[in-house]
Amino acid sequence: MSDSHGSRPPYIVIFWMLCIFTALSWAADELQQFIPSMGVLAVIVLAIATAKALCVMLYFMHLKFERNWKYVLLAPTFILACGLPLALLPDIGVHYYEVDVPQNSIADRVSVLPEATGTDGEHAVPH
Amino acid sequence: MSQTAGHAAKPPLKMGLAIPNSKLCMWLFLGTEIMFFTAFIGTYLVLRLGSPDWPSSEHDTHINVRAGGINTFVLIFSSYMVVVAHEAMMLKDFGKARRALWVTFACGILFMGIKSFEYYGKISKDIVPGHIAETEDQALQKLINEADASVDRFASALVLDRIEILNADLASLKADSQAAESLASTIQELQETARKTRAALAELKVTAPDAVTLKTDLRYDERQAALTKLQTERDKIAAKIRTGTLPLYASAETDHEATPDAGADAGHETGADAAHAINPEIMTFINDMSNAETNRDIADYFHVHEPQVIKYGNVFASTYFLMTGFHAIHVIVGLILFLIVLKQGSALNESYTDFVENSGLYWHFVDLVWIFLFPLIYIIKF
Repeated sequence: MSDSHGSRPPYIVIFWMLCIFTALSWAADELQQFIPSMGVLAVIVLAIATAKALCVMLYFMHLKFERNWKYVLLAPTFILACGLPLALLPDIGVHYYEVDVPQNSIADRVSVLPEATGTDGEHAVPH
Repeated sequence: MSQTAGHAAKPPLKMGLAIPNSKLCMWLFLGTEIMFFTAFIGTYLVLRLGSPDWPSSEHDTHINVRAGGINTFVLIFSSYMVVVAHEAMMLKDFGKARRALWVTFACGILFMGIKSFEYYGKISKDIVPGHIAETEDQALQKLINEADASVDRFASALVLDRIEILNADLASLKADSQAAESLASTIQELQETARKTRAALAELKVTAPDAVTLKTDLRYDERQAALTKLQTERDKIAAKIRTGTLPLYASAETDHEATPDAGADAGHETGADAAHAINPEIMTFINDMSNAETNRDIADYFHVHEPQVIKYGNVFASTYFLMTGFHAIHVIVGLILFLIVLKQGSALNESYTDFVENSGLYWHFVDLVWIFLFPLIYIIKF
């Protein structure tokens, strides 16, 4: 039921492209000591992931050959999908104030450890 | 008349889109799925960006890039096989379609197998939400808790074995005899004790009434002695931890003085990380109690993990299991969809073409999610 706008490359070509992209991601991970920063690596591997996703969506899912209903149907979901991360970002993702969390605190020492209460989820006593 | 003829020549008015309703429904469903997974992935990104630290070493996270890469390839190949199956359905080559779907199904099973292997690696090291120590204090507390739980398990097993022995003896006695009444009373007391606190269990020492001869050899006395040994060792370690005389990490001097065996077991770290080697006294306790050769009775019940501090390990584990867990559920649903088609066997016909197309769309979406999870979880290590 999809339209045939333009010629469609053979599926095997898309498959090999996806394999090459995956190999590139793997290579980027293996060679990360030659990559200036983790940020650059993140951009590289996410760009490769986006290219792979486009291959799957456009050709395997036939979106390239579907009519304009695809925009009407998918655009709102993409917009709403961005909502939660954007809403959480100011308070949790980007801190305005200095973060004060127990993980980084050196104030609490072993001498104040409470008696063991066995609240670790393991109960051997039969009921 | 001519007007009527002209009217009839026009195509009938059809509402809706020029695609099957089932396909439209699948795309609407996939729209909700996009929001579902981007909520998880977006939350993961926000939490990760907002955390001053994040577990990144393979030793801490047990993330295996090779396993993730192989799974990526497996899903991509399965996606390719789905489009091959759909194309074969369109060409009415149902045998080829079935073969391609079987390969897809096998790929899904392989994916789940590799994922299970990864999960096992994490769960065996207690890399699960809520269990990960994020400070030295938490690591020491977890050590005490796990040692306590080991004592509980051992004591409970002893009590239950004792009840079993006494029940066997009770069956051999006359119902109305004095010995039987005495034994029944003992068993009831034991059962009540078994329901009480672990303190009561730990202190428990049972002696069978004189009139009773034990008929089953469960090496009760030897095991009772082993339990006492475990309790003593646990108490020593716990007391030192609570008084602050047993830090989690060995100082450089302590490390040199420590027994070589314990030192070797103590850490995976070398060089600069030697300062973070686990205290050899703690490792000696763990290794000694879990040694099946020297302490075979204790080792069966002693489940204490090597202490490990992983900052932000719990939020890492929560997001990891949430994202990959829901993805795995989707893989299972996809496998069920393919089974519905494969169940038709040689009776597969063109009426399943839309079903295969829609199942394929769903499977491609599952592949899409993994395409983003692979770099985000496995490769990018801030």
